[in-house]
Amino acid sequence: MPRVVRKAAVAWEGSLSRGSGVATAGTGAFELPIDLPSRIADKPGKTSPEELLAAAHAGCYSTSLAGEIARAGGTVVRLDVACTVTLDEVADRGHLIVSSELDVQASAEGIDAVGLERAAQVADEGCTFSSLIRASASVSVRTELVST
Amino acid sequence: MAAERRASVTWNGDLTSGSGTIDEVGSGAFGPLDVSWAARSDEESGGKTSPEELIAAAHAACFSMAFSLALAKAGTAPERLRTSAVVTFVPGTGITKSALTVRGRVPGLDADGFRDVAEAAKKGCPVSQALAGVPEITVDADLDE
Repeated sequence: MPRVVRKAAVAWEGSLSRGSGVATAGTGAFELPIDLPSRIADKPGKTSPEELLAAAHAGCYSTSLAGEIARAGGTVVRLDVACTVTLDEVADRGHLIVSSELDVQASAEGIDAVGLERAAQVADEGCTFSSLIRASASVSVRTELVST
Repeated sequence: MAAERRASVTWNGDLTSGSGTIDEVGSGAFGPLDVSWAARSDEESGGKTSPEELIAAAHAACFSMAFSLALAKAGTAPERLRTSAVVTFVPGTGITKSALTVRGRVPGLDADGFRDVAEAAKKGCPVSQALAGVPEITVDADLDE
């Protein structure tokens, strides 16, 4: 099996509450400002570790589900996967990522709602990120079959 | 206080010949970004991002914030931290490692002290805790030359 290595870098200046940083992708695909207010308050325009994880989980799960629908005999036309990651303060443990919720709208041929539900479950078990984060947070998947 | 963060992906076609897009994120900070299985699993990504690269960015960002806070709490606030995270993905097995490297400029702190605080920040940062199932999470910490 090939070993795949992906790198990102952050340059941070100053304190946590007033400082800020920039996260840069090794592939050059993004360069993003980050800071604390964007992480804990609803402040538009800047990303946060949790938003990056939500993008990672949606990306990981969509590839996994595309594979499972094909394995179940279906043909994917289009998958829309939204992911919501929640960071919360847990008594005695500080800030923790407590949940990741996936919301899937699938447009596919040759598979019914029951088959999709089953494929979604297998995809969740097979998705690297779902299995990782399930060790410390809850993962949920909601699916809907939409007409092609 | 809970903070929810959201991202949306569209995928077209099957796993190996299809492709997807991270259409938008709640903050509006990035997107659309293209993703594909080939970009994820080949050694060369062709400029496309992948879940593993996003996890690397999340880990480096989270660690930088936790480390900055911990240094300030110890009375030695950093002027600057440069952190990288390298995430290793083995298709079929999963993510096997996240390796953090940090270099910092911190007045009043020696290299040993810097390393001790880095180790504690690595354990405490929420993304490290969410990645607790990764077999190996390391931090290489040193002061700037």
